[in-house]
Amino acid sequence: MSSIVHEIRNELAVAVANVEAFRDGVLEPTPERLGTVLSALERVERLLGELPRGEPR
Amino acid sequence: MVTTSAARTVLLVDDEPALVDVLESYLHDDGFTVVRANDGPTALERFEQHRPDLVLLDINLPGLPGTEVLRRMRAVRDVPIIMLTGRVDEVDRVVGLELGADDYVGKPFSPREVVARVKSVLRRTEQRDGSAVLRERRVGGIAIDPVAHEVRVEGKLVTLTPTQFKILDVLAAHVGQTLTRDQLLEHVSADGDVFDRTLDRHIANLRARIEPDSGSPRYIITVFGVGYKMVVPS
Repeated sequence: MSSIVHEIRNELAVAVANVEAFRDGVLEPTPERLGTVLSALERVERLLGELPRGEPR
Repeated sequence: MVTTSAARTVLLVDDEPALVDVLESYLHDDGFTVVRANDGPTALERFEQHRPDLVLLDINLPGLPGTEVLRRMRAVRDVPIIMLTGRVDEVDRVVGLELGADDYVGKPFSPREVVARVKSVLRRTEQRDGSAVLRERRVGGIAIDPVAHEVRVEGKLVTLTPTQFKILDVLAAHVGQTLTRDQLLEHVSADGDVFDRTLDRHIANLRARIEPDSGSPRYIITVFGVGYKMVVPS
């Protein structure tokens, strides 16, 4: 359980940091980087599905 | 470029390249030099090579846990360390007495916030050390520049092998303190080629280069049955 939450935080970290960098003009939002963000968010979605039943989502 | 941070080197350790890319760009834009490592052993290697002014260290690393990386770095030098962690339950342990990181940042984080923390920790630790970045160590007439990898004795440049340099540097970082043979071996054996029986030979060769009279050493003192210590000659 805690390791799933940990993985979710890691994936979110990738997404948040990259989007913030695009906003600040620090990194170019290239198709590759946008793909990285999208994959991270997709993994978050998958990890949410792995949380044990009965846990508050 | 911000002049106050222009000369600073940050070692950035995380196994997620998409995160390291972002932090590197922000730090770079702020005038920092960035060195990257994606696992524990590499982090320790780069730490020795580049002598960073601060380390940003993820707790969960392949190869060697971040907590162990922190311990080994601190055993060599009192470098400021900020931990990155995705686990809230680890925070107390990390910044508490047990590990003594200078600060931590929870994931996910704002990269701007990380840069702000880096600057704040550097300000704090440099005030504590009473000067700007201390790049050079001085022990009596010996000056050690870890960046240029140069050693001067009474102003004269001397040539040392990488292993001799490492031994001198760690002894000089702990003046007056006896380092055990094991500590010295662990410190220099990142190259994997230093064995217990050759440590004495390295010390002898080092003395021949830096001591005024290697027959009666004044800088590197043998502590019988324990190890060696460096002292300022009286």
